[in-house]
Amino acid sequence: MAEPLIRMVNIRKSYGRVQALVDANFHVAEREIVGLLGDNGAGKSTLIKVLSGAVPLTSGEIYIRGKRVELKSTGDAIKHGIETIYQDSALVTQLSIARNLFLGREPLKGPRFLNRMDHETMNSVAAELLREVGITKNIPPTTPIGSLSGGERQAVAIARAMHFDSDLIILDEPTNNLGVAETQGVLSFVRNARDSGHSCIFIAHNIHHVFQVVDRIVVMRRGKVVADDIDPKKSTVEAVERVITGMSEHEIKAAVS
Amino acid sequence: MPEGRILDSNSLAERLIAKPELGPLILLIIEIGVFWSINHDFLSAANISNTLAFTVELGLIALAMTLLMTSGEFDLSVGSVFGFSPVLMWTLYNGGVTSLEVGFLAALVAAGVIGAVNGRFVTQLRIPSFLVTLGMLLVVRGTALFITDGFPQRTWSAEGSWLADILVGDFFVGPFRIYASLFWFIAAVLVLGYLLTGSRFGNWVQAAGGNANAARARGVKVNSVKVRLFILSSMMAAFAGVISSLRTSAANPNSGTGYELEVIAMVVIGGTALTGGRGTIIGTVLGILILRVMRNGIVLVGVPGLAYNIFIGAIILGMMALHSWLERRHQAGT
Repeated sequence: MAEPLIRMVNIRKSYGRVQALVDANFHVAEREIVGLLGDNGAGKSTLIKVLSGAVPLTSGEIYIRGKRVELKSTGDAIKHGIETIYQDSALVTQLSIARNLFLGREPLKGPRFLNRMDHETMNSVAAELLREVGITKNIPPTTPIGSLSGGERQAVAIARAMHFDSDLIILDEPTNNLGVAETQGVLSFVRNARDSGHSCIFIAHNIHHVFQVVDRIVVMRRGKVVADDIDPKKSTVEAVERVITGMSEHEIKAAVS
Repeated sequence: MPEGRILDSNSLAERLIAKPELGPLILLIIEIGVFWSINHDFLSAANISNTLAFTVELGLIALAMTLLMTSGEFDLSVGSVFGFSPVLMWTLYNGGVTSLEVGFLAALVAAGVIGAVNGRFVTQLRIPSFLVTLGMLLVVRGTALFITDGFPQRTWSAEGSWLADILVGDFFVGPFRIYASLFWFIAAVLVLGYLLTGSRFGNWVQAAGGNANAARARGVKVNSVKVRLFILSSMMAAFAGVISSLRTSAANPNSGTGYELEVIAMVVIGGTALTGGRGTIIGTVLGILILRVMRNGIVLVGVPGLAYNIFIGAIILGMMALHSWLERRHQAGT
């Protein structure tokens, strides 16, 4: 088997006496959308925080394309091509789409000491990216994020990750609080991202959304990965729900095969 | 570069209404119109010259405060730094320790240190800027009073000093008496206006105030941005204090008392959000003019000066209501 894009081996994370992750093993292949499921407190968020550099792991190893890496900060993770999109905290609502897209990596023009932002480039690239990610409505790139709908905000965050060549885009509950049409929009943005060569981890409470878009489902329970190769085409929502709520390994095998 | 604020707005009127500067601009025009209709001397050359001289001194602080407030913080110690800095400069000079010019530089550096301490306390110890800068206000004011025994410093007429010439030298353009400080103010408007809206640093300032976590996640050094703005605001207060001292040939340890609130009022009246994320230098210039014109006009039309604060308070409340209404429209995307 080819070396996966991301491989996490025997990850442990404890907060004092609480074991949030117990020898969790997890991987994501190139151009793969992985659905990460689990009940509240199962360890999904902790696993993602470790992978995005937001919290340090207690023990374990992380490999990117077979090379061991240390992710000590979100900046480290971004440098290694891992971009995490949290539902509400990813964007600055007062700033325009273009300013958000390039935040922290604004293109400059003119003499360097002037520190002058290249608005023209930012706006034209932003308009192009909005089309690429699948927004068909004509939204000027100078529109502030505060005027966009929840789905459009997700699209901007995904577009940003795509533009800066993130290999792995982690979406934390991207369809929460979205209407039906908006949700379908976000799911198609995720498919577009995969089709243009990016891998994704998709976390959602709504299993139906996960089934529509992912290539593989991973289920966590009590800090462990209890199933990591569920094919959504061959399984059912009910079977996966049973895995999430807890069954014996024998029952899991019976349910997913 | 101006940015469209409204999603599907094509009409010029809608775009104008969405600008936070429109309200203050209309208020200023009404103010000037009312005062002029009651007393035509209001627009006389002498009155305009007098109003401008003091306006730019407070204005310099308000401009720096605009950036600081856009980043989500504010500084209550600027009034005390305004009083302390000239006291320090004259004390060094009168004591024969330094020349006036070096004393001026020392005052600026001391203000920079005060700003850096404010910034560090707020960003590293995560204490709200209200408490940190309130504490600093007392420390700085107390220091100014202590080193002077509460008495004004001896100042000589600074005429002839090149420092005084470039800071407050005056000349006449027709009937208007223009102080050099006006050019410093205009330069600060251009530089800080560009910094806020045209530069990469400005994008970080707005992001730091709008959503600090999102900015950090993108690699923006939010704490460093805020510390630099605290330093800027403090140094600008020192600069304004020295200008004021040279112009009036006075260095009183109590000068600048209450300026912090007037400066913050100027900034919010102009449309900068007290909670951060949105700021406008043009708006602040309008806010500065609104308050100074009010102070001057009230006296000229014969309202007792003691009633000044009633009008200022009413303006602040009215403008806040207007900005809040615009903000809700803006958030709703209408």
